Amino acid sequence: MSGYGGWAGKVLRVDLSTGRSWTEDTIEQYKAYLGGTGIGYKVMWDEVPAGTKPYDPENRIIFAVGPLAGTGAPCNGRTAVTTLWPTCWPLPLVASGHMGGQFAAKLKYAGYDAIVIQGKASRPVWLMIADRKVEIHDARRIWGQGIRTATTAIAEIMGQDAVVAAIGPAGENLVPMSVVISSVSHSAGGIGSVMGSKNLKAIGVRGTGSIRIAGKKEDWEKLIKYHLSLLGANNQHVVPNSPQPWAEFYDPTTRWNASRGKRWGAAGHLVDTGTCAPRETNRIAYRSNMAAFFVGDNAWQHTVRGSGCTSCPIRCHTILKVPAVTAKYGIPAVGQNTCVGFLFGRSFFKEFTDGPKGMTALEACMVGMHLSDDLGVWCNYMQLQRDFMKLYYDGVIEKKLGSREFNSYSWSKYEQGDPAFLFELLPRIAGKEGELGMVLGLGTGYMLERWGLSETEWGKDKDLAYWKMGHPKHHASEEAGQCGLLINLMYNRDAQCHSHTNFLRNGLPLPLQKKLAAEIWGAPEAVDGLGDYKPMHRSKARMAKWSLLRKELHDSLSLCNWMGPWVASPIRERGYRGDDSIESMLYKLATGDDMDREELDKVGERIFLLHRALTIRGMGTKEMRVHHDKIPEWVFTDKSGKPPFTKGATHLDRNDVQVALDMFYEELGWDKATGAPTRGTYRKFGMDGVAAALAKHNLMPV
Amino acid sequence: MKGHANMAGAGKEDQSEPGDALVRPRDSVDEHVAELIRKRSAAGELITAAEIPDLWEDEYPPFPDADGSGEDIAGILSRLVHENEDLYKLSGAGYPCYYSDLHMTAAYAQIMFHKQEGPLRLIAETVRKNSCECQRPVALDIFTQPPFNLEYNQIRDYLSIMTIMESYDDIVATSSSASMIYLYSTAHLERDHAEMLAEWLDVGQAHNP
Repeated sequence: MSGYGGWAGKVLRVDLSTGRSWTEDTIEQYKAYLGGTGIGYKVMWDEVPAGTKPYDPENRIIFAVGPLAGTGAPCNGRTAVTTLWPTCWPLPLVASGHMGGQFAAKLKYAGYDAIVIQGKASRPVWLMIADRKVEIHDARRIWGQGIRTATTAIAEIMGQDAVVAAIGPAGENLVPMSVVISSVSHSAGGIGSVMGSKNLKAIGVRGTGSIRIAGKKEDWEKLIKYHLSLLGANNQHVVPNSPQPWAEFYDPTTRWNASRGKRWGAAGHLVDTGTCAPRETNRIAYRSNMAAFFVGDNAWQHTVRGSGCTSCPIRCHTILKVPAVTAKYGIPAVGQNTCVGFLFGRSFFKEFTDGPKGMTALEACMVGMHLSDDLGVWCNYMQLQRDFMKLYYDGVIEKKLGSREFNSYSWSKYEQGDPAFLFELLPRIAGKEGELGMVLGLGTGYMLERWGLSETEWGKDKDLAYWKMGHPKHHASEEAGQCGLLINLMYNRDAQCHSHTNFLRNGLPLPLQKKLAAEIWGAPEAVDGLGDYKPMHRSKARMAKWSLLRKELHDSLSLCNWMGPWVASPIRERGYRGDDSIESMLYKLATGDDMDREELDKVGERIFLLHRALTIRGMGTKEMRVHHDKIPEWVFTDKSGKPPFTKGATHLDRNDVQVALDMFYEELGWDKATGAPTRGTYRKFGMDGVAAALAKHNLMPV
Repeated sequence: MKGHANMAGAGKEDQSEPGDALVRPRDSVDEHVAELIRKRSAAGELITAAEIPDLWEDEYPPFPDADGSGEDIAGILSRLVHENEDLYKLSGAGYPCYYSDLHMTAAYAQIMFHKQEGPLRLIAETVRKNSCECQRPVALDIFTQPPFNLEYNQIRDYLSIMTIMESYDDIVATSSSASMIYLYSTAHLERDHAEMLAEWLDVGQAHNP
C-alpha cells in the first residue's frame, strides 16, 4: 500500500462461479483512473471483451467508489455501478448507474475501494462483507422477496450498522428495466438484472475502519467549511424560489424552497424551515424539500424530515407520512425518495380527478414508490411511463395484446387516474407476466423492436423525450441548446450529467450567469437564455467538455454530480462565484497526491476517453459520428414553425449542429470525420495500449 | 458610499452639513429610530415615518418634537439615511419607507415598497421585473405566497381591473397546457417566447427533473 490517503487501498474481487474472493491493490492497478466509473471502465476494458452479453458470467459488475467516499467532503455518498447495459439497444454497451445512501462510505470503512463481481453462482446467494471478512451466503430464503424484506433479513444478520444493496423480483427475473437499491430507497437504475443473472440477490457491507486524510487536520476542516459555504440547495440552485429579505434574487423554479413559515407538518414536533440564508451552513439541510418541489405544496403537511447520503447536507430525499394510503391501498404510510422516485407512480397517468397536484397524485406517488422500490422496477428516467401512456392512448396496447390479456387490466381505473391500477401493472412488469408485462420490462429499444414500432418515429415526438439507443434525453437541447445536445450524444444510456443544467437552472439572472460563464468557459456566449438560443460558439463546446469531465470526475471521486459542480454559489459578496477548484483541493488534501485543477481534469478526461474507447470497441466501428452520436428528429422541430434561433423556439439548426460537433470533437482531440479519438489523444493520456488494441481491429481514425 | 441605488427613489434626500452631526444632542433618539428601522427590516418589513410614534417605547427618550425643539421625525429620518451606510429611503407613489440593508436586500425592499403602493402596482412591477431582468413569465400562484399574500380570487379581480387601465396595458396573461396562468410584460418579453417559457416552467421542466 502506498502512502496515499483517501483510498482504502484494496479492490475486492469475487468470482461467484468458484466462490473465490481476493483483493488487488487499488493504487497499483487503478490510481490513474481514480475510482468509481474510472475503475469500472478500466475493469471492463481489461477483462470484458467485445461481444460479451450482459447476462454472460464473463460480464463484470463493478461497485466502485472514490478517494473522497467516506471522508468529510460534502456530497460524497455516490457509488458507481458499471457493467454492460441490458437496455442499451440494439447492442448492449458499457454504462454506469449511481446510487447514493451509505453504501460508498461503508465499503471504504470495510477497507475496499470497489467490488468487482464476475461469474455466476449456482444458486441464489448474497455477499457479506464485514470488514476484511468476505462470505458468500445462501439467499434462497430471500430470493423472490421484495427489496425491503431482503434488506431487513440481511440487516438482522449483519447488524443495524450494516448497509444493504439488494435487487427485487424484477432483477431476479432478468427484467432489463430493473434496479439495485441500497438502504431501501437509493437506487441505481438498469443493473438489477445483471445481478440477477449472477444469482446475486444482495450485498451487505459492514465497515468499522476509517479513511486517512493525508493533509493536516486543520487544513481539511477549513476546506470542508469553505466548501459548505459555497453550497446552495438541491442541484446547487443558489437562489431561493421566493422573495426573501436576505436574497437579492429569487426564481420560482429553483429547488431552494425553504422559507419562514414552511413547515414539516408530519414531524414529531413543529419544524419551521426558517430562511436558511447562505451563511447559515448548519441549516443547509432545510433548504430543499423535494417532495414539495415534485409533488406539490400539499407535501409540506406530510413531510416528516429530509434524508440523504453520507456527509451530504443537502437532504434530497424527503420522508413522507401519508396515513390515508395504508387504509386505501394497504401500503406503509411512510415512504421516502427524491425526484424521479416521487414521480414514478403518478407519471403513468394522464390526469387525476382532483388535479395534477391533488391528494390522488400524492397517493399515486406513494403507491409508485412503494411498489417500484420493493419490486425493483426501473423507469429509465420516466421513459417507461411515457412509453406506456403513448402505447395505451395510441391504441397499440389493445392491438398488440390478446383480448383476454387486455381485458385483464382495469383500463377504466387507469383512465380515471386511480393509483390502484399500479398494483395491476408493476408486479406484472417485475414478473414478466403476459406480453405487456414482459415488453415493458425490456426497455424502449427492445420494446419497439419486438412490437415492430419505429425508433425513428419515437424520436420525432418531442413530448416522448426519447433520445437514442433505448434511452431518453437527460437535460438536452431543449433546455441547454447545443451544450445539452452534445452531452446527450456521448453515453450509452441517458446522460445523467448535471454539470451544465445545475449551472443553467441555478436561479441567477442571465447577465450574471454570462459573467460567470465567461470566467469559466472563456466567453459569455457559452450560455443562452432559455428558448433564446444562439448559433454555436466555441465556448459552448468548452462548456460541454467541462460538464462531461466534471461528471466523470465526480463519478470517480464519489462526489455527487446531482449536487455539483460548485462554480456558482449563493454568496453575494463573492459575486455569486463558486470555486472551480473545489474538487482538486479536496482530492489533494485527502490523498496527498499533488494535483491541481488542470491535472485532475486530465484524469477526468482519461476516464471519459476510456468510455469512448469501450463504446467504439463494443460497437465494432470507429464511425461514431454517424452510428453513435445520433440525434433524434425532435431536436430539429418546433411547434411554433419558426426558424431556429428565434425567441420562443427551442429547436436547433441542422447545419449548426454539425458545427457544434466539429468544435466539440476538436476540443477533445477527436477526429472530426469519425468522432473517434486520435492516436495522439490516446498517447497524451498515457493510453497507447488502448490505441493499439483499437488499431488492431481497424477502430482508429486514419 | 452606499452600495446600491438601483431602484426609483432609493438613496439620500437630506443634504445637511456634515458637521451638524457632531454637535447634535439627540444621539440616543437617533439610535432608537435607527434601531426601529433595523428591527423592522430584520422582521422583513419596511417602516414609515407615521409608524414610528406607535412603536416608540416608554423607556426611550422623549419622542422627537415632543419637547418642542422643532426637529420632527421626518427630519431625523432624513439625517439618519444620510449618516448611516445601511439605512435607505424609498419613495414613490406611496408613503416614503425606510429599511436597513443589514437585514434586507434592495430587491426585497422594492417588493415590500410596491406592496405598500397597492396590489395593482405590486403585481405589475413584479411581473415587469421578472420579464425584464430574468426573461421569465410569472405564475399567478406566486402572488398567493409570502411576501405577496394575495388571495387568488382577489388576484383575478385585480387583473380584470388592470386590463382596462392604460398604465398596465403591457401586462398580459398566457397559460400552460396544464392551465396554469402566467403573466408577463410585453415591454420585455415577446409573446411566443413567453408562451414557450410558461409551458416549460409549468410542464416541461417537471418532465426533466
